[in-house]
Amino acid sequence: MDASVKPRPKLAAPWKKSSTPSKLAILSASLFPSLLSFTLAGLFHLPGLITLIAVLLPLQLLAAAAVGTFISGRHGRSGAILMVLVVFFSAIVVILLGSVLWSVISNGFKVLSIPFLIQNNNYITPTTELGYGGLGHALLGSIELVLISSAVTVPLGILVGVYLTETRDKSRTLVRTFVQSLAGLPSVVAGLFIYSMFVVTGVLRPAGILGALALIPLMLPTVARVVEESLKLVPQDLRNAAIGLGASKFKAFMQVTLPAAKSGIITAVLLGIARILGETAPILLTTLMGSGTNLNVFQDAFATLPTYLFNNLANSTEVSFSRAWGTALVMMIFVGAAFVSIRIVSRNKTSAKKK
Amino acid sequence: MSSVESSVAPERRVLSDKPTARADKVFYGLSRAAAYSAIVLVALILTFLAWQAWPTFQDQGINFLIGSKWDNTSDNPVFQIFPMLWGSILISGIGAAVAIPMGLSLAYFIEFVAGKKLAAFVTSIVDLLAALPSVIIGLWGALVFTPVAVEWAKILNQYLGFIPIFRNSSETFPGSPFIAGWIVAVMIVPIITSVSREVFSQIDKDLINGAIGLGAGRAAIFTKVILPTSRGGVVGGVLLAVGRALGETVAIYYVLTLTFKINWYEVLEGRGGSIASFIIGQFGEAEGKTISALMAAGVVLFVVSLLINFIAGWIVSRAASRGKF
Amino acid sequence: MSINALRAENINVWFGERHVLNDVNIEFPENQVTALIGPSGCGKSTFLRTLNRMHETIPGAGLAGSIYLDGQDMYAPEVDPVSIRLKVGMVFQKPNPFPTMSIRENVISGLRLTGRKDPNLEALVEDSLRRASIWNEVKDRLNDPAISLSGGQQQRLCIARSLAMKPEVLLMDEPCSALDPGSTRRIEETILELTDSMTIVIVTHNMQQAQRVSNKTAFFLADEGKPGEIVEFADTEQIFSMPTDPRTNDYVNGHFG
Repeated sequence: MDASVKPRPKLAAPWKKSSTPSKLAILSASLFPSLLSFTLAGLFHLPGLITLIAVLLPLQLLAAAAVGTFISGRHGRSGAILMVLVVFFSAIVVILLGSVLWSVISNGFKVLSIPFLIQNNNYITPTTELGYGGLGHALLGSIELVLISSAVTVPLGILVGVYLTETRDKSRTLVRTFVQSLAGLPSVVAGLFIYSMFVVTGVLRPAGILGALALIPLMLPTVARVVEESLKLVPQDLRNAAIGLGASKFKAFMQVTLPAAKSGIITAVLLGIARILGETAPILLTTLMGSGTNLNVFQDAFATLPTYLFNNLANSTEVSFSRAWGTALVMMIFVGAAFVSIRIVSRNKTSAKKK
Repeated sequence: MSSVESSVAPERRVLSDKPTARADKVFYGLSRAAAYSAIVLVALILTFLAWQAWPTFQDQGINFLIGSKWDNTSDNPVFQIFPMLWGSILISGIGAAVAIPMGLSLAYFIEFVAGKKLAAFVTSIVDLLAALPSVIIGLWGALVFTPVAVEWAKILNQYLGFIPIFRNSSETFPGSPFIAGWIVAVMIVPIITSVSREVFSQIDKDLINGAIGLGAGRAAIFTKVILPTSRGGVVGGVLLAVGRALGETVAIYYVLTLTFKINWYEVLEGRGGSIASFIIGQFGEAEGKTISALMAAGVVLFVVSLLINFIAGWIVSRAASRGKF
Repeated sequence: MSINALRAENINVWFGERHVLNDVNIEFPENQVTALIGPSGCGKSTFLRTLNRMHETIPGAGLAGSIYLDGQDMYAPEVDPVSIRLKVGMVFQKPNPFPTMSIRENVISGLRLTGRKDPNLEALVEDSLRRASIWNEVKDRLNDPAISLSGGQQQRLCIARSLAMKPEVLLMDEPCSALDPGSTRRIEETILELTDSMTIVIVTHNMQQAQRVSNKTAFFLADEGKPGEIVEFADTEQIFSMPTDPRTNDYVNGHFG
């Protein structure tokens, strides 16, 4: 033990200390308005949002302003009001998202069963009871479409990202502008485009492959942009070091730049997949909704998770609503998995940096 | 000295960073081809849609954009899209009005209020919201949110009905632009949040420290330092979000009643328009001239989205190049 | 008379339209250390980068003049820049080992990157690390990530990485400016040991370092708004004890810059 090493005292931050009266004031300001509005809402049977906006918010603003003034004078008041508004609006978003997640999980969980996951929808009507029929065909269809679209878009998107970062072509700005404009492409327009290119011209009848094609322009800008950003983060020093060692540009990219940007590129792919997994409109326009299992993307009706959900919602019976919730849960599990993988990949990266 | 300066400049050598090895050439060639394919793709989209839409533009003329009648049953069909176009704009406007305070608050909360862990948590919530498929938001909107929002709308109408925008002459509350606007807001909050956050985080910390050193409080720093310096970026982010809102299709389809009787501003009333949802709704039964008309609607939607996107990109990059985010 | 391995003739450099180096002529004696000194912005680092054609990777770069390596003009149109960089290695200001690779992989990264093979890899790794005087510190952890090393060790690893390519010339761009005095001393020792087999050109801001490691010294200077030039090039001893140009005298005695 080195005698000169002193353990850090518990309170080595005197600025965090606050006096007892101000602690009390803050505590009452945060409890009192919610308690009062809760009571008022109970007494007068007010609906939730009205209580929040018309009762709690003004009360909370008043209380915060009072306490803010009490503790730090005039600027304390406006600061406290700002904080209340910020927390209030942020909380609304959290509540909305919570509501979406909760309804999908609670409603969807009731439907989830092995038959629901593996059976298809043949001979199932909107009133057939749950326990018969499921989204197996749509699940396979979605996976197939995502794989086909990714097989085209991932290499394409990476190459576009490479073009934007690793070359010095004059038309980079132009390319970037066009990629950006693809990002603004409404998904329904992507569907119309594929329809007019293949169905109107008589090349193909509506089929799964057209859905996969319609997803490409929607996925491309996501992949290209994230790849570009992650390649930009690779220090120029590393490229210089590789080139200084006599590497060709291609070798330098493959062995130095690409490995350094690996996690970013995986993120790009996952984000792209999450983007197209739930796309509904383009598939509605370019395929015929199928109820049986069909893995042939070149002909016949084809089903995917989002279109299966969409159709069940359109059927407007309690049973088909349940099926829609079940489908939503399955889709959310996929999106959640992609999401968690992105977190893990980027966390590995940051921890490697810290070493 | 000067004699050295005035000596004739030697001939310049040819320098190039062009690839020499074959692998390099192939590699650069491929990436260039991929890059140009993005341009070709946009060109193809515009060409094919315009080609399909041409008969409609020819038959209907400018009335396609500004008229309010849709009749595909007669021999001389009339296709006029204005109520749907206006509806899309109205809903995007409501969406932005709802989403801006939320997005800015979240961005401020993450960047300047929350500690590291809380900030990471809130960020991942926003990211998750951004990743939710719109069809799921639509499902939630139709079955969960609409009944709740109808209650809100009724109360708004009851207490604030004297303000024209909260009037409701038909007394039908479901299917209103108000509800669709909230749904759109849920979908664009993440965009506004992430752009604003990005912009907030690039504000020179010395600027904020300077303000603190001058004795400015939280509110003053927000209104006098943060907002003015980040204005350009935030406006750009909002425009990007509006562009996304205009193209929103399936989430709106189930929560909005589409009519060709134009609804200018009575946002609580159960009738409205949305180009994208209209296309989805009509396409199933459409044939011949109607398909052409829907393609024309798609062209209008794409062009408007493109314009908004370009303006947004221009504002953001201008703000960035001025260093005035 | 020895053949000078590396020689620059009438080198002029531009960035865009800005003229940054004017008529640089210099011969680097073989198997000796030449130091390039001068105030910031005088163009010495830029000049260094022209010596292995790294200069042209900067957008807007322009150049006139010739640089001869083994009697061949390296800017001749038929010369592949990659082949030049194989003969002329470079160590950068900031240590930049490849973060995704281990220590061992970093040493042989040059071989991998250029698609070369060496039958005796282990010997090459050890030899390179020894000559960069880092072998004893890392021999038991060759498979650890390179970024686990300290800054000084990373820089010596970068030197080892260049040595593994067996270059004829080694360029060093302020290799010690990001390092502590202890690491700096180790690298200076390494430089002195390397001179038995290669020509070294080092850019440094540190006058003492130039005196400690170099045989010859070139003093660069750029007047306000004018391109940089070589003011004086001579034996290091002479530059620091009795420079012929008064400006050199001012600089080496710390009167400006």
